Amino acid sequence: MPDPLERAPDAIAREWSSVGDSGYAVKLAIFEGPLDLLLHLIRMNEVDVTDIPIARVAEQYLEYLELMRELQLDIAGEYLVMAATLAWIKSRMLLPPDPSAIAEEGVDPRAELVARLLEYQRFKEVAAEIGERQLLDRDVFAAHAHGVDPTPDAEREIEVGLFELVDAMRRALARGGHSGAAHEVEIETITVRERMLAVMETLASREACEFEDLLAGDTPTLTRALIVATFLAILELTRLEAIGLYQGIDELGVPRGPIHVRRRGDAGDLGWQQRVSELM
Amino acid sequence: MLAASEPIAPARIAAVLPSCNPSQVRAIIDELNAEYAEQRRAFEIWEVAGGYQLRSLPEFAPYLRQIQTTRPLRLSPAALETLAVIAYRQPVTRAEVEHIRGVDAGAVLRSLLDRQLIRIAGHREVAGRPIVYATSRRFLEVFGLAKLGDLPALRAIEALGEDAGEVETASAAGKDAPVDPVEEDDDADLPEIETAPITH
Repeated sequence: MPDPLERAPDAIAREWSSVGDSGYAVKLAIFEGPLDLLLHLIRMNEVDVTDIPIARVAEQYLEYLELMRELQLDIAGEYLVMAATLAWIKSRMLLPPDPSAIAEEGVDPRAELVARLLEYQRFKEVAAEIGERQLLDRDVFAAHAHGVDPTPDAEREIEVGLFELVDAMRRALARGGHSGAAHEVEIETITVRERMLAVMETLASREACEFEDLLAGDTPTLTRALIVATFLAILELTRLEAIGLYQGIDELGVPRGPIHVRRRGDAGDLGWQQRVSELM
Repeated sequence: MLAASEPIAPARIAAVLPSCNPSQVRAIIDELNAEYAEQRRAFEIWEVAGGYQLRSLPEFAPYLRQIQTTRPLRLSPAALETLAVIAYRQPVTRAEVEHIRGVDAGAVLRSLLDRQLIRIAGHREVAGRPIVYATSRRFLEVFGLAKLGDLPALRAIEALGEDAGEVETASAAGKDAPVDPVEEDDDADLPEIETAPITH
């Protein structure tokens, strides 16, 4: 009866090269990382994850890496780190217990790796499980009528706002905002506080305006410093609840379209000014 | 529900219907669903992300996919694993995700953020103030969950060791798992945090 451990590497090699022959090298990247590969090897060897024959598994692991190299797959650094870890564990298992290291006596050098493997395995399992749920836009589709004006529901406070804001700022910076030429020395005295007042002034006459319009301002020679200061001013005002940032959502509930800046409370409400003064 | 573009909360339904209070909404929804089932309708009402939404039955997916105008949802194993780690361990840093999965998580996290399945939930107050991630409302919608607590239980470590050799049964066994009675670290695996929107 041949040892199953003896056959395992061959079986893996066949499985891999057969896919390789079809020319789809990319498909070989079936492992989600070194932990996934190790779990696979442990299954192939039909051994318990808590009692890994480390020398055998380490050898197979390296054979895999060699195979990946031959198939011209990029081997991510994590795989190499794991190879080093396995080699280290293997050497520790071979060495007689160090009598001077009393504290570590009895500690299996594999313990940490086993803990990581088990932890990874439960997430891998639960990931597969949630992936089998009836997912929206894949297995089930939400019904919604078009043509109905969905306001005020369509404009709600945005949930993931940071990226949209930064995107908007990037666009504003790309449009205007010369960086101030390298040879010119300009002394600009722009303060965030000043920009806060300017933003509120703009909003005094109007209920709302577009975020990017605020960044664009009314001066054609807008500098980066001014844009950045205005951006910070808007963030600060939002935090002080003087203004709110809103964005429409599309039919899928994904925020889309221009970001609007809206005054909270009455134009006459000067409470925010007091808060600004207190802060700055 | 048809007019709403996202799951609609019972309180909002009740606000629109003077004759009905929020506590009655669920009973009415149940009644409607029973009616739809009896009449063999192609849709039913789901309770997701704290609200109700009218959705097609899964058996109609092959037809609906053909007329789908939006990009179909595709989640790679890497995306699902990352989502699982974030869902059960949130709020979680990129380093923690990478430690559990053993691979770089940068690209996957960006893609999940782009798709609004996760959100940045702030910073951890430790050296470097790393960003922490949490699942979004959209995550609950896509996975058809009323709340985070409805996620399946993570299997206990002990149960894993015993049949690590049998992959096929692994996911099925997970469903019957107890709610982690022997969890070693105190991190609640199923945090009962509602995904409240960040107010600006």
